[in-house]
Amino acid sequence: MPQFFLNKRLIILLVSIIILVALIGFSLKDRENLTWPEQFLKDTTGFIQNAVSSPVNYVAGFFENVEDLQNTYKENKELKTRLDELARLESEVQRLKKDNTELREILDKKDSLSEFEPKQATVIGRNPDRWHELLIINKGKNAGIEPNMAVITSKGLIGKVKSSNTFTSTVQLLSSMDPTNRISAEIQAEKSEYGLIEGYDKEKGLLLLKRIPYDAKIKKDQNVITSGLGGVFPKSLLIGKVVDVVPDEFGLTQTAYVKPGADFYDIGHVMVVKRGALQPELMEMVDEKEEEL
Amino acid sequence: MRRFLLPLILLALFIGESIFVQITPHDLLGSGKIAVPRFLLAGLLFLTIFGSKKYGILYGLLFGLLFDIVYVEIIGIYLFLFPVIVFITTKLMKILQTNMAMASIIVLLGITLLEAGVYQMNLLIHHTDMVFAAFLSSRLVPTLILNAIFIILAVYPFKRLSEKFADSLND
Repeated sequence: MPQFFLNKRLIILLVSIIILVALIGFSLKDRENLTWPEQFLKDTTGFIQNAVSSPVNYVAGFFENVEDLQNTYKENKELKTRLDELARLESEVQRLKKDNTELREILDKKDSLSEFEPKQATVIGRNPDRWHELLIINKGKNAGIEPNMAVITSKGLIGKVKSSNTFTSTVQLLSSMDPTNRISAEIQAEKSEYGLIEGYDKEKGLLLLKRIPYDAKIKKDQNVITSGLGGVFPKSLLIGKVVDVVPDEFGLTQTAYVKPGADFYDIGHVMVVKRGALQPELMEMVDEKEEEL
Repeated sequence: MRRFLLPLILLALFIGESIFVQITPHDLLGSGKIAVPRFLLAGLLFLTIFGSKKYGILYGLLFGLLFDIVYVEIIGIYLFLFPVIVFITTKLMKILQTNMAMASIIVLLGITLLEAGVYQMNLLIHHTDMVFAAFLSSRLVPTLILNAIFIILAVYPFKRLSEKFADSLND
């Protein structure tokens, strides 16, 4: 028995496994912010990544442009047919916008859930192991980026800010499997239905929109947008289109498969979205009398 | 100068992995197949086999910690796996010959170990629900193919580099 304890290697192994479990437990905890050594390391590597990624992106962009040129003729034909429709839509949007502001003025309602201000950022890194779908972007706290802000591309929502450092931030994509990653979503129709985006089917490449009421009538190709009811994201950021609806295992709710509008892989530039409407503080929602108890 | 060349190249591989996944299409080896670049581990293992064992484990710890903090944000996974795999390699090298073909096979084995280890850990902390058969076909095999190509290209330069690194330690 004394020999067992004298075995130095075994003790090192045991101690390191204990430290490993402690460290994993510590980092899985729902942390508001990373510790400062982590932030420092992330910012330092972010600086190098920033320096490397711009020339690399330039070269990669050149090859992409050459590829694009081959499809130009076909695309041009298709786009021309849509152009006529666009002019009509544009005038209508302008009219509706004007209407909206006027009506708001009458109602004296200033902030809306759908208001947001976008901040441009460039992707400088991506987690290579692809288990945890994380992106690193080149804007951080000093550009006003805070954890939990929504991140979009021109085609739709791609994820949220997981953590922000001084000069860089980490974005968690919708496709990463994290039980705490839920987004309140709305299916656009005559009568809108609400549900929660929970999880991603990797094989099919579809998002799962769960907890839709069992009697909701949902059709294929209906748009899915953020509802803004989660208190974090603004309203009406496009998520995707409904592909299929199935009842869940107990038949109490329905689950819709949603094809994401944005591509989760070919991401170069993103916009981080700051919600215009104030986020209610938990303390404000608690009744004061209740607090005294 | 020679002493710093190898760590700098390891750092370049560390950053290169992220750039590699960003600029290559995600379905490089067929749709649904995920090929993960493990160039950093390959470099570390070449250093261990041809150069210094002590520095292999040391850099394994360092880059493992860096990988966890920068890319994964869960500290412990690579911090633990990199040094352990390097350690297993040092034990294996005691009974095996040190030549380029053998080194390539051992590096591939190390990458298999790393992939399996990361998969098990992610299963443990509920960050994936992939079954083992799906892991084998959609992750392990494409990853091994991708890294085998890298190993064939990199084995000779890394042998030279590691030997020079070992020489500079003796000076």
